[in-house]
Amino acid sequence: MQVQNPFPLSRDELLTVYRQMRTIREFEERLHIDFGRGDIPGFVHLYAGEEATAAGIMHHLNDGDRIASTHRGHGHCIAKGVDVVGMMKEIYGKKGGSCNGKGGSMHIADLSRGMMGANGILGAGGPLICGAALAAKYRNKGEVGICFFGDGASNQGTILESMNLAGVWNLPVIFVVENNGYAESTSRDYGTAVDSYVDRAAGFGLPGVTVDGTDFFAVHEAAGAVIKRAREGGGPSLLECKMVRYFGHFEGDAQTYRAPGELDDIRANHNCLKILGDQLTAAGIISQSELTKIDEEVMVLIEHSVKEAKAAPFPTLADLTTDVYINY
Amino acid sequence: MSDIQTPPCVGIIANPVSARDIRRIIANASNLQTSERVSILLRVLTTLAASGVERVLMMPDKGGISAMLLRSLKRERSQNHQFPELEFVDMSVTSTVNDTFFAARSMQQAGVNAIIVLGGDGTHRAVVRELMLGTQAGKKAVPIAGLSTGTNNAFPEMREPTITALAVGLYATQRLKGTQALAQNKVLEVSIDQGQRRDIAIVDAIISRDRFIGARAIWKTDNLEAAYLTFADPQVIGLSAIGGLLEPVGRTETGGLTISISDDPGRCKFRLKAPIAPGMIADIGIAGFERMPAGQPFSVALEAGVIALDGEREMPFDTHEQVSITLHENAFQTIDVTRCMQVAAREGLYIHQPSRLS
Ligand SMILES: Cc1ncc(C[n+]2csc(CCOP(=O)(O)OP(=O)(O)O)c2C)c(N)n1
Ligand SMILES: [Mg+2]
Repeated sequence: MQVQNPFPLSRDELLTVYRQMRTIREFEERLHIDFGRGDIPGFVHLYAGEEATAAGIMHHLNDGDRIASTHRGHGHCIAKGVDVVGMMKEIYGKKGGSCNGKGGSMHIADLSRGMMGANGILGAGGPLICGAALAAKYRNKGEVGICFFGDGASNQGTILESMNLAGVWNLPVIFVVENNGYAESTSRDYGTAVDSYVDRAAGFGLPGVTVDGTDFFAVHEAAGAVIKRAREGGGPSLLECKMVRYFGHFEGDAQTYRAPGELDDIRANHNCLKILGDQLTAAGIISQSELTKIDEEVMVLIEHSVKEAKAAPFPTLADLTTDVYINY
Repeated sequence: MSDIQTPPCVGIIANPVSARDIRRIIANASNLQTSERVSILLRVLTTLAASGVERVLMMPDKGGISAMLLRSLKRERSQNHQFPELEFVDMSVTSTVNDTFFAARSMQQAGVNAIIVLGGDGTHRAVVRELMLGTQAGKKAVPIAGLSTGTNNAFPEMREPTITALAVGLYATQRLKGTQALAQNKVLEVSIDQGQRRDIAIVDAIISRDRFIGARAIWKTDNLEAAYLTFADPQVIGLSAIGGLLEPVGRTETGGLTISISDDPGRCKFRLKAPIAPGMIADIGIAGFERMPAGQPFSVALEAGVIALDGEREMPFDTHEQVSITLHENAFQTIDVTRCMQVAAREGLYIHQPSRLS
């Protein structure tokens, strides 16, 4: 008997989503190892554990839709379609990287994909996305802008100013709070006076929704509603995704601020990839062996990207003065 | 005889995440801010103190309610305002519905006289589900009093929390007996494969052809297949409004209602407009409806889909699974605020003499 697909995405789309989330996970797991070995210059903040949110939102976007990312941006890049080999080279600081090796982890950008850049400055994405959304509004093609920020960054003035501006100009912006419970080592309970981001948004007249950011389908459905609203001229809104961070704040963080057993619980019970995989196999439309095959293909891709990154040359002194200014 | 424990103790379960779902986007549903929830709690607490309730046991949360309440209480107490002794249930907070289950269980165990619930239909359902399990296991039944802070709110009535707290105070301090203060309520028992999986609904169990849980709240009407209702009030919002406008059934009236829904021209007998979410008037194809006598299982015809309980998609079921739904009466107790206050007025419970000694 033919099994009916119970999900709001086709089988092919579901396989693509799973592949994307697995790619983010493997990419980050690999960086965790390579950074520990001292292979990577600079700082990396890993997105592992948070994949369902990037994938659930980005599934609704096209290259014309802009996103402003964060210091924890690898997942946003991959889900937005930025080339994985180019990203790996960038993080290794090599020529041929997304920004020719001159930016590193926190500056990966690819405007052709609508990825306006990771950003080392917390809350900087708010004003940037308002600009992109204002342009989108003038272009009038139904494009939207997504501003990602963490629970910690939510307390930056720029985010609050941007919500106000987006409200005043009725911009097609979605403010996405990636709430993983911590800003570095400061717990959200301690650092935020009113813990509901939906309340924050209400203060600026924006509607807000909270979803389980570890459930791809929950994020996908809510993101679909807020993005559709923005595309149709309904204006800005806020989406809070509650999620978990698999690794430390940055690589090298000893995470002494976590409760005993917290990480074990996160990995056992809040693994968004396992949650998605279980949903797909339980529904009987995708087999475990198909998923395993994807896992293996992703491993090959990541291995290949690291090889390429290691083999690529560093930028030269002459590269220092290129790509600094742009003529319009 | 009285099984009321002394000194009077009341439980409070306040859900920090009720009214945060997708209905705010698709239907402009209201959002009760955390600060407003805390103001409600402060009003409830001062009222309980004025009613002679000395202890309150509350569910802790990480959604901002308990943190803000503690800050506010510190401020209020420094101004010498009177509050009951407030204790939090000793539990680790998961920020899932399991917190509500755990807190309700602990409160029943601790012998609270009543539980005040702040939330929508979903929160009330979770509390009732746990209390019913406790009662089945031999623990004493605990009545609940609902304060609406959710979206659909068919179950908790809209009322100033001060009045609800007064009614709870009258019962908890034994100035009113159970026969005067309590109302009996119906539930729907949902059973999959002869009880392999079981759950309850206190207002509505909705069968949808959707087959995933997603963002939980049920808001699309295209895939609705059937509705099972404990009561159907024409003045209430939510999917139970379909029944309310078709064939009203009172909360305390015997039996419930089941409705078959279909857009298929072969099955649809007529169409009905109903406020299925705040600000959302949907056009529903009705294939039929009938009263549900208590105790009689109704089998669900749909082969595979998802069951939404009190507004949230909860239980997906598959082609090989058999779903049946049974209405039960006298399943749990609520504080009947209207009646409490009427009796209090009639018996002059709030009248007191000026003291001749002072
Ligand atoms: C304006 C600014 N202030 C401080 C920092 C240092 N900093 C980097 S990440 C971080 C915490 C961010 O927490 P959150 O926004 O919750 O994001 P998460 O790391 O949890 O993804 C801080 C304080 C910074 N990069 N920019
Ligand atoms: Mg954070």
